[in-house]
Amino acid sequence: MPLETWQEQLRRGSLDLAILLTVSAGPRYGLAIIQHLEAFTDLIVTEGTIYPILGRLTRDGLLDSYWVEDEAPHPRKYYRLTRQGTRRLTDMKSQWRAFAGKIERLMEAASSAERNNRDSE
Amino acid sequence: MILSDTGTSRINGYLFVLERSLATVLPRESVRDVVREIDSHLRDRISAAQAVPDERVMLEKILTELGPPQRVAQAYSVERTVDEAIVTGKIWAIARAVWHVAMSGVLGFLAGLGLFVGYFVGAIFVILAILKPIFPDNVGIWVGDRSISEGVDIGPRVGVNVLGHVHNVGGYWVIPIFVVAGFGLLFLSNRGARKFLVWWRGRRPGFSITVRPAS
Repeated sequence: MPLETWQEQLRRGSLDLAILLTVSAGPRYGLAIIQHLEAFTDLIVTEGTIYPILGRLTRDGLLDSYWVEDEAPHPRKYYRLTRQGTRRLTDMKSQWRAFAGKIERLMEAASSAERNNRDSE
Repeated sequence: MILSDTGTSRINGYLFVLERSLATVLPRESVRDVVREIDSHLRDRISAAQAVPDERVMLEKILTELGPPQRVAQAYSVERTVDEAIVTGKIWAIARAVWHVAMSGVLGFLAGLGLFVGYFVGAIFVILAILKPIFPDNVGIWVGDRSISEGVDIGPRVGVNVLGHVHNVGGYWVIPIFVVAGFGLLFLSNRGARKFLVWWRGRRPGFSITVRPAS
């Protein structure tokens, strides 16, 4: 598998978590979510296709959406975490940390084995 | 910034194509909501854009970043149809979802082809079970007149007799066999399709997203 494909799979796999994290601090509308992702990650997405994902997360009960009519010259649709979404986010964060920790330990073990091999030569 | 009439027409044209594309896959109320949200996105983008000498260039940049309207509609369509198929398990919803997935890549196409064969053969068995009482002499299990050792016939055939050198050994007892085989295959194909869609969605949680490589 080419490196680019693997990188893309990593990004895709973490996108749900990234979106849930983005709205965890408070409600955000679609463009604000995109801008937040662009500012803090390299999960740069084709803007128009993030909305179907927001729709899916809403249908799954993880997000709740509502329209705000008077904030801007035009209405904006805001997304916020539901209770179920908050629980899921907590689970996803702990899973992510555990997974990242395991991979980190693996990399450290590989590095130390590499060092030992170099020293013995 | 405030758009000229030409710019406004360009935006309205984009939203019109989006609405028309969504109308074939989403309920009317959802279409209205999606178009309103994309319209809001575009207005935010336009109002945040700095005034440039060439309004057309600025608009095309914004619309390119958003993606072609058909592609946005397709992303909604895939998300919804796959969700609906997984949740309801209805054969029509599954067929629509498999079709969408099959159109999205080689793996999806191959899985769709395999599932189509499963559904097709299952349906054929059920049809044969229905036809047997109507055409008892033409529907059954067909066996070659000559033995395999003579190297001509290759064993039993199922279906309508279109070959002169074979004979029907199937009585009415083939009906339950056809029914079990038909519905069994349909059930297994449907179950397989649902499992495939669950796996496919899980494997690619952002499957409708195009992620540009990090710069």
